[in-house]
Amino acid sequence: MSKGYLCLVLHAHLPYVRHPEHTDFLEEKWLYEAITETYIPLIQIFDHLIEDQVKFRITMTLSPTLISMFTDPLLQERYVQHLNKLIELVGKEEGRTYGSPFHETALMYKKRFHEARNVFCDQYNRNLVSAFKKFQDLGRLEIITCGATHGYLPLMMLYPEAVRGQIKTAVDLHTRHLGRPPAGIWLPECAFAPGVDEILKENGIRFFFTDSHGVLYASHRPRFGIFAPIYCPSGVAAFGRDVESSKQVWSTQEGYPGDFEYREFYRDIGYDLDLDYIGPYIHPDGIRIHTGIKYYKISGKVDLSQKEPYNHWRADEKAAMHAGNFMFNRQHQVHHLASLMDRPPIIVAPYDAELFGHWWFEGPKWLDYLIRKIAFDQDTIEMVTPSDYLQRFPCNQVAIPCSSSWGNKGYHEVWLCGANDWIYRHLHMAAGKMTELADHYHNAGSLHRRALNQAARELLLAQSSDWAFIMSTGTMVEYAIKRTKTHLLNFLRLYSEIKENRIDEGHLGYLENMNNIFPDIDYSWYATKKDLPKAASM
Amino acid sequence: MSVLFPWLFWAIILVLVSGVFLWPQIKGRKAKKDKHQGFLKPTPLFNQEFSRELSIPAAQKPSAQPSEAELPHSYGVNRMILMARDPHWLFAYWEVTATKQDEFTSNYGPEAWSTTHPVLRVYDITGINFNGDNALGFTDIHISENIDNWYVHVGEPDRTFCIDLGRMFPDGRFITLLRSNIVTTPRASLSDRLDEEWMWIEGLYRSMGRFQYGTSSPMIIEELALRAGVLPLGISSPGFNQKD
Repeated sequence: MSKGYLCLVLHAHLPYVRHPEHTDFLEEKWLYEAITETYIPLIQIFDHLIEDQVKFRITMTLSPTLISMFTDPLLQERYVQHLNKLIELVGKEEGRTYGSPFHETALMYKKRFHEARNVFCDQYNRNLVSAFKKFQDLGRLEIITCGATHGYLPLMMLYPEAVRGQIKTAVDLHTRHLGRPPAGIWLPECAFAPGVDEILKENGIRFFFTDSHGVLYASHRPRFGIFAPIYCPSGVAAFGRDVESSKQVWSTQEGYPGDFEYREFYRDIGYDLDLDYIGPYIHPDGIRIHTGIKYYKISGKVDLSQKEPYNHWRADEKAAMHAGNFMFNRQHQVHHLASLMDRPPIIVAPYDAELFGHWWFEGPKWLDYLIRKIAFDQDTIEMVTPSDYLQRFPCNQVAIPCSSSWGNKGYHEVWLCGANDWIYRHLHMAAGKMTELADHYHNAGSLHRRALNQAARELLLAQSSDWAFIMSTGTMVEYAIKRTKTHLLNFLRLYSEIKENRIDEGHLGYLENMNNIFPDIDYSWYATKKDLPKAASM
Repeated sequence: MSVLFPWLFWAIILVLVSGVFLWPQIKGRKAKKDKHQGFLKPTPLFNQEFSRELSIPAAQKPSAQPSEAELPHSYGVNRMILMARDPHWLFAYWEVTATKQDEFTSNYGPEAWSTTHPVLRVYDITGINFNGDNALGFTDIHISENIDNWYVHVGEPDRTFCIDLGRMFPDGRFITLLRSNIVTTPRASLSDRLDEEWMWIEGLYRSMGRFQYGTSSPMIIEELALRAGVLPLGISSPGFNQKD
């Protein structure tokens, strides 16, 4: 009998980066890299665990933008082309590194890329959602949703209809692709504000997560701290992030990913090799990019030029050690907590999925070892999902979680600062106008309906918290500004065309083709409801 | 060499001449920027409220794609929107239409706009049903014309605020133009409200102190470290003091 629960949450999300207008779009590579380095390795691990009949339970977000990209034929085709180029490159690398300390690593990449093509093309017929759905249907993953485009909800709460648009669109898309409505949600950026929960409830969502202080600083001091969920007055459960397990993995200084044996992210042949050689595999304009082929290990706190060759066997041993260490610490933690509590504690450990594989190359391996060790080497902790927990412990304390996020400083500053505050004057105006349209046009005719639905898509795309985040970090800012402005301008144009009854069908068709996300969206989701939550504490 | 020399001579002259003509422009641009920044720093009359250097009017924002279509600066709608950024800061942005301005001058005389200056009146309305007159207190922030957003330092977690944008006459008379929505700042500490049926387990909190807080919540680390000695119910245990 286990003494406590571990709730691992992997949040898989990328913003919608689909650019049919250009064959080599740098930002689309975010998706391709994440597929090769994160999503496919995770799928392989889950498949092997199932083959080996190892039991596990993991909570995973598939954000609606990610689902949309996974199932988009253009992006699927482009990914295959991208992967074929990588396979061609790694073939050359096999020869180039022959006899050098890098050869083993080149062979490792060769194997990985071939396996990736096999998983992507043959096993899952280019649709990775079907892989995750399979794990869900086998009872291994609990797949939850996210805001439709990862909109930052606390700063949207003045326009509850816009929050509802984010949630309803997400639940609708999720249900279509995963065959069942999501029981839970990963709030974009883990950002909560009172009132959001009521809109979740309306849409059948029963739980969400907050950062540690979201639960700890609730309106009433929680009996179990963050080691049990609390119920919002709406009845939706809030699970707080565990501090210790987050830090062991997240921290760049003390966390596992910084181990010297692990692969160095910043030494990539896309930057290191001569243009003559690497030219065909980076951006056609000669812009150097990460290819994903990296031969060095972190080595120590040394200059990038001083890095030593990577040894994947040694890194693998480290991943196993770190998994053991993580499990040991959780056991220790659970023993201690269980001695104080009159029910088993739940430790909530959420991570960005892209951390595993893309940034921390050995992350998926670590996860694999961790799951196997938990299954075979101990019986203190049991892996559960929030739904499992709520089924066993339906009675929980009621309190209002604190407005918070998992961003720097814990509140909303990352998404509301000098670098991005200008967007809200436009986003709010557009949100208000969208509701005005939805209230005014009931059962719109075919052309109007198309324009109204496209207006909702453009609003959603402009709302991605990713743009505000990128602006605040100061890198790739231009793209984030451009995306925000483009979608807002598209929205405003559609708004006046609809209002003035002069819809430019050609342009509408162009937008539908360019920004084709959410084919089943219904603009009426933006209509005013009389019993909306008060936005008093946004 | 003898051919090259005159060329070189004329090239130097050209550079010098163009320098003479361009210098005032470059200097002017710099000076303008300085002047602008000076303009953005109104002298605060109240110590706890001050402008952040980032409160730049939206029109001055650098644009990545100046050649492309730009978003409208104004929408012709009177609005005053308030957001709580964190336990200590609010952010407000607003738009006053020409009609609103005309309305003001028709009520208070043609000179009224130029003899008054804009003021943000920040009301603390925690726990009350605000009707415009019953605030617990307020603070005025005197701002310059043409500013359309402001970060307000309230420094008070878990309090409720509302802001009026108005004009103030030299005699101190304040006329409200726009009233914001109401916001509550988030909590920044454990609640003092305890449930009898769900009495908190002190030991659990103590052990969290020992573990320290997660990397993306550095604020809590700081705050818990700060309040290590003052947390209620004897939390000033060794666990809380083992910071950093």
